[in-house]
Amino acid sequence: MSNRPVNHAKAAAHFLEDAPHLQFHDERLWDMRQKRDAQMHILPEWQELREEASRIKEHTLSRLPEYLEQFEENAKKNGIHVHWARDGAEHNRIVGEILKAHNARNLIKSKSMVTEECDMRPYLAKQGVTVTETDLGERIQQLDDQLPSHIVVPAVHKLTSDVAKIFAKDYHTDPDIRDPHLLAEAQRQAARPVILHADAGMTGGNFVVAETGTFVVCTNEGNADLSATVPNLHIATIGIERLVPRMADLGIFIRLLSRSALGSPITQYTTHFRGPQKGGEMHVVLVDNGRSARLGMEDFWTSLKCIRCGACMNTCPVYRRSGGLSYGAVYSGPIGAIIDPTFNERKYSTLPYASTLNGSCTNVCPVKINIHEQLYKWRRVLVQHHEMPFVKREIMHMAGKLMGQPKMYRAAIKMTEVSLASMPRFVLYNWLNPWGKHRENPHPVKQTFHDWYKKNRAPGQTDAAETAK
Amino acid sequence: MSARDEILQALRNNRPTPENHPLPPVATLGDLDASRERFITSLKILGGDVLEPVEGETLDEAILRRHPDAKVICSNVPEARGTLPVERIKTPQDAATIDVTVVRAAFGIAEMGSIFLSEAQLPINSFAHLGQHIVVVLSADAITANMHTAYQKQPEFRSANYGVLMSGPSATADIQGVLIRGAQGVRTLSVWFT
Ligand code: SF4
Repeated sequence: MSNRPVNHAKAAAHFLEDAPHLQFHDERLWDMRQKRDAQMHILPEWQELREEASRIKEHTLSRLPEYLEQFEENAKKNGIHVHWARDGAEHNRIVGEILKAHNARNLIKSKSMVTEECDMRPYLAKQGVTVTETDLGERIQQLDDQLPSHIVVPAVHKLTSDVAKIFAKDYHTDPDIRDPHLLAEAQRQAARPVILHADAGMTGGNFVVAETGTFVVCTNEGNADLSATVPNLHIATIGIERLVPRMADLGIFIRLLSRSALGSPITQYTTHFRGPQKGGEMHVVLVDNGRSARLGMEDFWTSLKCIRCGACMNTCPVYRRSGGLSYGAVYSGPIGAIIDPTFNERKYSTLPYASTLNGSCTNVCPVKINIHEQLYKWRRVLVQHHEMPFVKREIMHMAGKLMGQPKMYRAAIKMTEVSLASMPRFVLYNWLNPWGKHRENPHPVKQTFHDWYKKNRAPGQTDAAETAK
Repeated sequence: MSARDEILQALRNNRPTPENHPLPPVATLGDLDASRERFITSLKILGGDVLEPVEGETLDEAILRRHPDAKVICSNVPEARGTLPVERIKTPQDAATIDVTVVRAAFGIAEMGSIFLSEAQLPINSFAHLGQHIVVVLSADAITANMHTAYQKQPEFRSANYGVLMSGPSATADIQGVLIRGAQGVRTLSVWFT
């Protein structure tokens, strides 16, 4: 894997060139955000739910070793095999061994971001295992050989015509289909025989309950339930941060998850696994892959509270207008920008700059992660570690002439009557967000570049973000 | 050191001070209305439906009215006979030929219109998913108010190995944001009250 910094700005510029895709992407995600708002307004207890969720998660993270041990003990009592993986390679090896022991060649799986982190599919392919994604969006991405571009809606950057083209190649359907219903039906018809003949099924896990040894999977399509109940072997890959202490805590999280993600009250399926089915075998692989190290990062450990709802992505003007693939990472959007650098600081050094720091992500986050503050802190960390991102270096170079002679700059604005509304916006935007040159600023800039620069060069100063509600 | 011990050790070394993060008491928030009316409203939002009997109709008759083309109806409840005896469903794959599956839910949740099924209500777990349509028998007395009351009070969450809350039929919006009901699991879900 290349260690070169992701050129988010360039990839985003590419995405911006395609008007129909861009417009759909922007509107679709904004629609999800508005549906989320509508759900929030129905519930007077919304802020209380967020507060509870945040406190439960922070508590759990502070006692994670104890809760993991408790989960393991209870799960084992119920007949679940529990495995531990330090990193992706170890996870893949464990899964490969389980499959081999059962002589399983066909694996069906539902969506799991952890298996993407581990890059599991190519590993299993080499072992002769055929992996079939059963989630529609994930399957589209698998057939197109792309990473998911969104953690909840993996193919959200594609239009119906794109899907029709992909399915025509693999499912031999009409490439000119423009009715999504026909394409979804094609997926159902293609997936059924694969599901019925699969040797093993794999799911992720949204929540893990220490008290009972249960793990919970939330989906809409029913594909996780098919993957877990049709084959007799079920493997679940789960990040170690997914714990909650008590069964009763699920009430808080299930009420928040789908409302924040899609604006629907609950996912169509909320499934609780506490042990293998009759005649079946169940394995849980608990994956660290950098999480235990992240727990020790004073400014960033609370990112482990994330329940992967995607609300921060839907609300982010940069994400909406640059597309998930431009981040060049498994996790995109604001949450990606704060956790990707923990996987590879150099490679993902540009991502914390993909933000306007408007604070909207923090405001919608159901577990109250201070996302925009962490973005800002990452920028400072990256500079301190001399991982000065090349984008920023370029921008500095560009802005350098003006910054080097601030007096001249101020005079220039006054004398040439360059609009203060546009000039500082251009500069400000390019400094913070290289993609800014392609788009309009959605938030009025209340200060001039000079003010901004004076304020921001002083250490400890905060940005112009809204205060979190 | 084993992966397990190494991970646990790293977590012990790195965690924030536990005393600063006490566990909040269990919360019961929001609307505590456990009525059938609230359940129905929620069920419809998620694309489910109520199978209303027309004068003196049996469940078998109502199912045929709702699904006139159904050939294989398999019932796991005494209220409906169906066409295929449930004893014939022996392997998970056997359920794939069913047009309409009939089951009884252990309970429902008014806030979400969800119904709960576990191995205690199913001959085999895939029974709930491989059929084309599902008809769920639910007692109006077995409705709990919301997710908090469900997780606090329903013993099934602590006893079932497999427990699914189904809230309407399967659905997807993965292609250009168009909501499609009936994705990979059941195409429709109807509730019959007893
Ligand atoms: S950071 Fe918050 S808003 Fe973003 S995906 Fe995670 S839980 Fe959702």
